[in-house]
Formats: sequence, structure tokens, C-alpha cells
Amino acid sequence: MKTGAYRAVFGMRAKMELQYRGAVLGGVVCQVFFGLILVSLYRALYRSRPQALPQETVVSYVWLQQAFFRMLLSSDNDLADKIRTGDIAYDLCRPVDMYWFYYARIMAQKLVGSLLRGVPMLAFALLLPKGWGLMPPASPAALLCAAASLAMGLMCVSAMENITMGITMRTLDPRGIQALLNLLMTLMAGNVLPLTLFPDAWQRVLFLLPWTQMLDAPIRLYTGVRETAAAAGVLGVQILWTAVLMLLGTELWKRNRKKLVLQGG
Amino acid sequence: MSYIEVRNLTKTFTVRKKKEKGRFFREKASVRALKDVSFDVEKGELVGYIGPNGAGKSTTVKILSGILTPDGGSVNVGGLVPWRDRKEHVRRVGVVFGQRTQLWWDVPIMDSFTLLKEIYRLRETDWKTRLDELVLRLDLEKLLSVPLRQMSLGQRMRAEVCGSLLHRPELLFLDEPTIGLDAVSKLALRDFLKEENRLNKTTVLLTTHDMEDVAALCSRVMVLGHGSKLFDGDLDELLSRYDTVRIITVRYDGDVSLPPLPEGCEVRREGDTLRVLYDPARVRTAELLALLQDAGAIRELTARMQDTDRLIAKMYQEMEL
Amino acid sequence: MGPLRLYLKSTAMNMRIRMQYPLSFFMQTLAQLVMEGGEMLAVILIVDRFDTLDRWTGGDLYFFFGMMSVTFYLTEFLGRGVTGTFPSIVRSGQLDTLLLRPRGVLTQVLCSDADPRRIVCIAVGTAALCMGSAASHVRWTFLKALAMGEAILAGMMLILGLFLIEAVFCIFSVKSVELVNALTYGGRSACQYPVDIFPRPLKTLFTAAVPFALTLQMPAAFILDKPLFPWPEWTVFVCPLSGAAVFFVMAGVFHRALKRYRSTGS
Repeated sequence: MKTGAYRAVFGMRAKMELQYRGAVLGGVVCQVFFGLILVSLYRALYRSRPQALPQETVVSYVWLQQAFFRMLLSSDNDLADKIRTGDIAYDLCRPVDMYWFYYARIMAQKLVGSLLRGVPMLAFALLLPKGWGLMPPASPAALLCAAASLAMGLMCVSAMENITMGITMRTLDPRGIQALLNLLMTLMAGNVLPLTLFPDAWQRVLFLLPWTQMLDAPIRLYTGVRETAAAAGVLGVQILWTAVLMLLGTELWKRNRKKLVLQGG
Repeated sequence: MSYIEVRNLTKTFTVRKKKEKGRFFREKASVRALKDVSFDVEKGELVGYIGPNGAGKSTTVKILSGILTPDGGSVNVGGLVPWRDRKEHVRRVGVVFGQRTQLWWDVPIMDSFTLLKEIYRLRETDWKTRLDELVLRLDLEKLLSVPLRQMSLGQRMRAEVCGSLLHRPELLFLDEPTIGLDAVSKLALRDFLKEENRLNKTTVLLTTHDMEDVAALCSRVMVLGHGSKLFDGDLDELLSRYDTVRIITVRYDGDVSLPPLPEGCEVRREGDTLRVLYDPARVRTAELLALLQDAGAIRELTARMQDTDRLIAKMYQEMEL
Repeated sequence: MGPLRLYLKSTAMNMRIRMQYPLSFFMQTLAQLVMEGGEMLAVILIVDRFDTLDRWTGGDLYFFFGMMSVTFYLTEFLGRGVTGTFPSIVRSGQLDTLLLRPRGVLTQVLCSDADPRRIVCIAVGTAALCMGSAASHVRWTFLKALAMGEAILAGMMLILGLFLIEAVFCIFSVKSVELVNALTYGGRSACQYPVDIFPRPLKTLFTAAVPFALTLQMPAAFILDKPLFPWPEWTVFVCPLSGAAVFFVMAGVFHRALKRYRSTGS
């Protein structure tokens, strides 16, 4: 498989995302505001009833979620529109494997989009006073593991979104299914409420689901909720899910293509 | 006092320039869309308003219909200032955009017409009479239960016109009403508009690029360019100013030996067909015809003016638009 | 009653449009249920883990959540033209059409859309209100019911007023969605919880500038018999008017902005 086309679409999409620098500022301000509200809430809750899990862990969880929020959210409206209008048929005629073509595109957008927002936000969160801001990583090793896990999470979430896109192509009016999958994502990935605050029994199940592999896993490693020693296991589950999602995705796109060819585009 | 009085109308837009490399903020520039435009329109007149893209036609119409507020100058339409007395003013105004719909896309057009009754607060009986009349004249009977999105462009345009005239406007703005329509629909729409003007003394301001629309509907035209009025008067008078070319096409049987033609003639030869372009003010037609007849055995001969679009293009060129 | 009649007629039509594709409508409604159900779940899990939040019990928290949820989604249901469709009304040039009609522009914007999908969110909110009312043993009186009705109405006006800020930016074609979101959706997220748990700057913001505390929470706290502020009881009925004030001020700004509207296209 030649990788030229995929690298090209990755680069193109990354550049496009960089053009929206102006919009980023507004997004960061908004996200910081949301972060401050949530941090205030959890501080108030801890004031009422301290928990076994340290408060600064939850606060850091909030900031990391807010910073990489863009990674979870599917926001490639161009692509969604293409599917809705049926223009995607033109793309399916190109001499490249469409699954990987879109995978590269989705990943570029998520990577650049979340770095543009995440870096200034994390810088801001690190400057906040103790108890309000992002805590330093549990250890240098934890930081390394978290970074590796975040990279894996990016691959996993891109595979997930490509499945969403694949399903979208199958429904006549995709808005409903897309909204549903997106919401499920934000809830199950810990954006509505940190997963570390879910009942402990739930957490053990949630660990094994694909949604926790995206952002929750790296955050747990960063904050030390999961020991660095357990990093291999965490990464293992991530890799497993990413592989499964990719397999499902490629199969789905293959079938979509066949169906489209049969319908005559 | 005229029905519409426009005096020294000006409107300037601030546009953001394309961002230059290395600059964080965009620079701003101002574009003068209208510079000191004045005109009068009498009640019941049909006026064509033409000019190249970006001349300020739409800006004028939007100011006259109360959408935009100008920077300077005054407008008075039947005693009202459009942007100040918007609600009262638009009650008497109808607008048809050729490229935009004013009806509801997803519902049967009858539902749209019913809602328009509410919006314009029309009396049930008035509305019913008018609707019946328009449905008959626009042949909409079979379409009333069809949603707009399922209609052909021609059908949609008829529905739009019906919707715009339900409240019996005394002033009608038409913005490219025939754009994209087939020949039959175009002719039908023009006939309808002429009739509407005759029956109800509706004042019509037509903005268009289609010179046939103007020729068919309007006796008076205004030409706008770069935000200024360049011409205001009779269409034929305007055309005759730029109408400096006649074209004679001749087909011969057998050999042709063309003598040298007088100065100012341009000859194009394609096989056995000759096309001669000349300026009737400089070359005598009789003389030219005699020469052409001597050249060989004529099988067929046609003479005509240059088409209107070319005239207009030439006019824009000479006005440096 | 002209505007109300027009609103009812338009809304009936908009609902029919929304329901034209039943399957899609069903899926989208389901998505709404997951969304608001998820928010509610978060509150339930928080109560499960923490029991109380300062002086507020779990039941109180459900009640505050329900007040916000019902009010916010009633606004989105009935006022979708302002809270959702306005940017596309401007972009598509439909605002020109609204200006060509002999009715108030704001009335027409409100008439332009209704979003029945939100009914499920309102249902979730209502469930939260019932749960909260039962758990906190609220003794309902006529006065309390009145306070609740006023709070919801005033809250809706406040939310419409906040979305009008975005509308004004749209008229000047300034992209601002995310900054305005901080006030609208941020306000909703924050003020699902009583403001007195927040640090002073946030508390001041949501009391004095974006007065969710005055419009929604003072009446809610009054119903729970735990006054939010140590003020006399009659203030519970006066303070919500601040929501209406925000709406009228923003409606005024909106109409001023229309005078400087520049339309699109040629």
C-alpha cells in the first residue's frame, strides 16, 4: 500500500485546521470558562464530603478533558455534509482505500484541532493555584506513559469516528444517529462527569468499553489513578480496542462501497 | 409629487479585506455601493433597472424595500420612508427574487398562502378573492397541495409570484424574475406581469440582466454603474446610441468574386456564405447591396441588428464599467 | 392578540415540517433523551457519591436541576428560531424576507421554528422536579406554584435575551458562537447547581450580569424553604423580573442592530 495519498490528505486537513486559528481563541476562552465552572463544582462537593480520591486528581481530570474535548467531538462537518448530499460517491471512485483516506483526514483534524486548543489551555491550567489547576504528572514515567496512551487514544477515537461515518452513510437522514453516537461518546468518555466519580462497580465495567480508551485511559495514567506499573495493561486494552474498531470499520466501509456500486452510485 | 422620489442616495459598505500574511487583524476597506443616486418613478410605471454585477442595483432595491438603511439621501415612497416606516411601507410592497424563495420549502404552497394571510393580516374574503384570481391567472390550481421543494423551477416561480401579490401590493420589485426559466415559462410570466400592471396600476421596478425582459416589459430604463446613474430614459433611445452595427449575411450559388468593399466594412467568409458587418452611418446600404449582388448569384440574404446583449456589453465597455 | 395568533399558526406548521420524516425525528428525539438523561445521570451519581453539596440535599439538587432543565428546554422548544435557527436565517438571506413583511422581525424569528424534539428534555426536567420535590418534602402552596410559574417565564426570557446577543453578532456577521456559548450553555451548566456553592466571581456573574440566580434559583430556593439570599420574602417575586429586563434590553439592541444590517449577496 502506497501511503502518499493518505499523507497528503492528512497534511491538507491539518493545514485547513490551522487556518481556523482565529476561531480557536473563542473556543479556548469558552472551554476555560466551562473548566472553571466544573472545578468550582467539584471543589464545593469535596468541601462537603472529602473522598478517597484526592481532589486535585478530579480537578486535573476536568482540565485534561476540557483541553482535549475537541478530540472526542466529531466536528468534520464537510465530511458529514458530503455524506448527506451523496457527494461522497465521487470520493468512493478514487483509486485509494477510502477507509484509510478518511481515517487520515479525521485524525489530522482531531490532532491539530485538539493541540491548538489543548496546549494553551493546559498552560493556563498549570498556572492556576494549587487545588484549582492542573497538577504535575504523577511521575516522569507517568507522563511518558500518558503521552503514549494519548497517542493510542487518538488512533482509537479516529477509528471510532470512522465507524460513525460508515453508519451515517447507511441511513437516509444521518443527523439522528450521528447525534446519538456523539452524545454517547461524551457521556461514556467522561466528559459529562469524570469517570473516576462513577460508582466503583460501574468503573470496572467502563474500563473495558471502547469509550474509556480514548481520553480516560491517558488521564488516569497522568494523574496516577492507574499506576505506571499498570501502563502496559492499559495500553494493551487500548491497542486491542483500536484493532477491533479498525477491523469493524474497514469491513463496514467495504460493504458500503459494494452497496453503493450496486446502487449505481 | 412622484410616487417614488429618490434623492442623492448614498450607501457605503465596510468590507474586511482578505487577511494578508503576517498580519493578525484584517484590514478594512470601504466600498461605495451607491454614490448620489436620484430618480423619480410615477405610479403605474414599469421601469427596468440594469447595470453590470456589483453596480449597486440590489442595494438600491434593498433600500427602497426597507431592508437596508442608507447612509445619506432621502427616499419617499407614497409618503413613507421605507426604512423608518418599514411595517407600513412593506404592506404595500411585493418582492419577487428569482434566486431566492419567500415561501416555505417543505409545506404545500396552500399552507404558505394561508400563513401569508395571517402575516399580512388580510381579511378572509379579500384574501380568498385575490387567491382565486391569482390561482386562475397563474394556473396554480393543481399545484396547491404540492410542497414547494417538489416543484419545477417554472412552477415554483409562479407560486412565488402568487405569494408576492396576495396582499395586492401597489409597488412590485422584481429581481431577475425569469432567471433559469424555459422559453414558455418566461413568456407566460412576462404576459402575466404586463397584465398585472395594466389591471391594478402596479408600479414595477425590474432588476435584471435579461434584456429581453426589459424590452418586453419596460418602456423606461435606468442604467447604473459603479454606484451612479448613467442613463435614464427610453430603451430604444439607449439602444440606438450604441446600435452602430448592421450585419448582412449572404449565401451564394456557385463562384463568388467579391469586389473591394467601401471603407468601414468588415467581411467574414465561411464557405459560400459571406457576413458583412458595417456601420450604417458611414456606409450606404444601397451601395453595399449593389456590390454584393454583383459578386455572384445570391441564394439567400438576411439583414439584422446586432443582438441586444452585445449592445449592452458595448455600452458597459464605453461607460468603462 | 395578533402576534400570538401568528405564532400559534406558524408553530403548528413548523411542527408538521419537523414531523415529516418520522424515523429521523424519532432518532433525533432519542438522541435528546440520551443527552439530557446523561446530564441527569451525572447529578444522580454526584448525589450518590457526595450526598450533599454545602447546605443543599440531594433532593434540593434534583429540584435545581429540574428548574433549569425545564426552563432551558421550554425555551429551545418554543423559541428555537432565536436559540437555534437565527444564524442560518441570516446566512441564507432569509432575514431579507422577514424584513419585507409587515410584522416585527423578532416576532417572525420566533415564529420561524419550533423544536418538538425538546419535549423529552422537558420530560426529564419534570421528572427531576418531581424527584426533588418528593425527596425534599416540599409543602406546595399557591404562592410557591406562582413563584415557580413566574420563575420559568422569567428564565425563558433571560435565555432568549442571552441568545439575542449571538443574534446581534450574527447581524454584523461576526463569528462569536463559542463566546456566547460560554454565557448560554455555560450558564445552564453552572446554574443547574445553586450559585452559592461557587466562588464569588462566578456567583456575582450569575447574579448581577447573567441573573439565573435571581430568575430561577431564588424562587426554587423559596419553594424548598431555604432562601438563597437573606432578603425579604417579597424579593422572590420581584427579582425574577431581571430576566425580563435582560430580554427587553437585548430586544432593543437587536432592533438597533437591524438598522445597520447590510444584507448578503448582490
